[in-house]
Amino acid sequence: MIDVDSIDVSYDGTKKILEQLSFSVERGAFIGIIGPNGSGKTTLLKTISRILSPMGGVVRIEGKELAAITSRELARTIGVVPQETAINFDFSVMDVVLMGRHPYIDRLSSESKEDINIARRAMAMTGTEQFRDRSVNEISGGERQRVIIARALAQEPKVLLLDEPTSHLDINHQIEILNIFRNLEGNVTIIGVFHDLNLAAHYCDTLILLDEGMIQAIGSPSEVLTREHLKRIFNINALIRTSPLTRKPYIIPIIEEEATLRGTLRIHLICGGGTGSDLMYELRQKGYALSTGVLGINDSDYETAKELGIPCIREPPFGAIGPGSLQELEAVLRGVEAIIVTDMPVGKGNLDNIRILERFRDTPIFLFGRGEAEEIKPIRDFTGGEAERLLAILREHGAKPVASRRDLLSKLQDLERHARPSGPA
Amino acid sequence: MITRRHWMVLALLTGLLFLSMLTTVNIGSTNVPFDTILKDPTASLIVFELRLPRVIAATLVGFGLAVAGTAMQGLFKNPMADPYIIGTSSGGALAAVFALVFLGGRGQTLLAFIGATLATFLVYTIARQRGRAPVETLLLSGIAVSLLLSAVLTLIMWTAGRSVHQIFAWLWGGFPLASWGDVGIASLILIGCGIIFVYARDLNVLALGEEEATHLGVNVERFKQVLLFVSSFITAVAVSISGIIGFIGLITPHVMRLIVGPDHRILIPASMLAGGMILLWSDTLVRTFTSEMPVGVLTAFLGAPFFVYLLRTRMKT
Repeated sequence: MIDVDSIDVSYDGTKKILEQLSFSVERGAFIGIIGPNGSGKTTLLKTISRILSPMGGVVRIEGKELAAITSRELARTIGVVPQETAINFDFSVMDVVLMGRHPYIDRLSSESKEDINIARRAMAMTGTEQFRDRSVNEISGGERQRVIIARALAQEPKVLLLDEPTSHLDINHQIEILNIFRNLEGNVTIIGVFHDLNLAAHYCDTLILLDEGMIQAIGSPSEVLTREHLKRIFNINALIRTSPLTRKPYIIPIIEEEATLRGTLRIHLICGGGTGSDLMYELRQKGYALSTGVLGINDSDYETAKELGIPCIREPPFGAIGPGSLQELEAVLRGVEAIIVTDMPVGKGNLDNIRILERFRDTPIFLFGRGEAEEIKPIRDFTGGEAERLLAILREHGAKPVASRRDLLSKLQDLERHARPSGPA
Repeated sequence: MITRRHWMVLALLTGLLFLSMLTTVNIGSTNVPFDTILKDPTASLIVFELRLPRVIAATLVGFGLAVAGTAMQGLFKNPMADPYIIGTSSGGALAAVFALVFLGGRGQTLLAFIGATLATFLVYTIARQRGRAPVETLLLSGIAVSLLLSAVLTLIMWTAGRSVHQIFAWLWGGFPLASWGDVGIASLILIGCGIIFVYARDLNVLALGEEEATHLGVNVERFKQVLLFVSSFITAVAVSISGIIGFIGLITPHVMRLIVGPDHRILIPASMLAGGMILLWSDTLVRTFTSEMPVGVLTAFLGAPFFVYLLRTRMKT
């Protein structure tokens, strides 16, 4: 459908914004272009829509060179939805949508019945019929953007180019609008520039990652949105999860804050079922030397540990903790200055994580639960009372329940001060 | 969409214009009874050789100023713009004054046209970068060129000495000497208006922005060139007949936009008819009640407060 063949694009003739860029797009595909600011995303879109012409290389649409297509024919082939449209005069919504028929109407003719019907259909698809007679400058930004989309649809284009079409809108309108594009019937090919990587991953079949005017990666969302690419191109660390609803990648950026104090304790975290992820993030942020385990490798806490680079003792899923792992755990526990047990679910499979703690009565143990201080439920027991009993023994021997992360952090600081009396008060 | 209401407004305006022309022919400092026009040679002379060409010339110039104003406002997507702002009329006026002072008035019309067109294209060339003339730079270079041309005009008037009064009266505009020859020249305005009307739908699309218009199949750069050329042609013809008459081109499209909406297919003919009518009545007033006060003074007195009013109400919203 669209062939971009080694194009060079420049605004001033010397500095190349796009360099030797090539890719092709199948009919009916939904392509997302992502990349940092200044990577050439919008420039690429403007080259395909012929606002800019390349210095070298060609763009072909259905095998025909872009430069050889007449303005009107191009307008019947490509529709463009910009970020925002300022309309200077008070045209009605219907008038603006009908402007999409401009390339079909002869110079001195008026809109035909058919043109009006097509405009009506476009308004129905975008849910804009109810304000057809109102001025485009009276309706909200989200509504106006839908009108602009209706105008583009009235062009009956084979290709739709979207330049961050939702970046100025609230999240509910963003989804509303992207759903319109996804539900388009027929073989409309869509190429869109996206700022929001998660929306791009959700809606696009193929992503093109641009940086410095070149394609850094192209492929399915899970092929393109990798930790390595995000680190290298966007300079962010991120957790990449698979959305349980769509099986598409979902990015959670790891926001690195300037640590206010540098913890020096070595801490082991016993967790599971996702109960330790937030602590791992926070304790790592505070500078503590963390380790964790034993965890099954399908546990989301294991994934977090892996992505945050925290050493973790691991076991295959659904099995009990083997003797090798247990030995490893014992060795690790011997070297730490504090142990934290989260409010994790405990069953037969991971009971040994708790049982082993009996041998470490001299190491401070914190039982982390979320709730009111008096009634903290540190673990969820699925062993028929065995885990609760082991925990009660630990409490006998001085394991301290903590009710919040703040509480935990202050207790860890106390511990640190206690361990080093000469340190800063 | 064009509605029945639009057609009714156009029909009403056309009717009013014809009525106005019939009425104004019979108004003047000399009272000419209707039944004597064909019998009395003096009455016939007054009506057919003095008033009628003057009425038609004023109407045509009003047409042109209003249509050129409408086109410029659409082109610049700025309802405060008109041909005067981009230097067209300054160029025309300077060239015409040059003819008046140095050539004894010979070739005034032709020179005005050349001056107006040159000024427009000078502005366009200054504003142009890599084949494009963005509206903002076009407006700014228009102001710069206008200021320069006004300075040159003042310099000529200052050196001219004796004919200053003549230049001054001419600059402020009017139709005291309008003849059938002027009507012939003024009818060129109709051609210009026709060409602009052909581009009415493109002007509508341009309201979405230049890139959007390109995406809808408008060859924006060529369209801008054609519109600038035709508008400066219309303005030059108007300036060479009646000097500078302000505010018709600015106010008329404004008022008509409030009445018929922004669709240029209706706005252009509606502004044209209304502009013709406004200038016709203004000229009738000055020739009847004053001893040929320049009509530009009257339109400025009426137009400037109205412009300020528009400016204030726009700032509130």
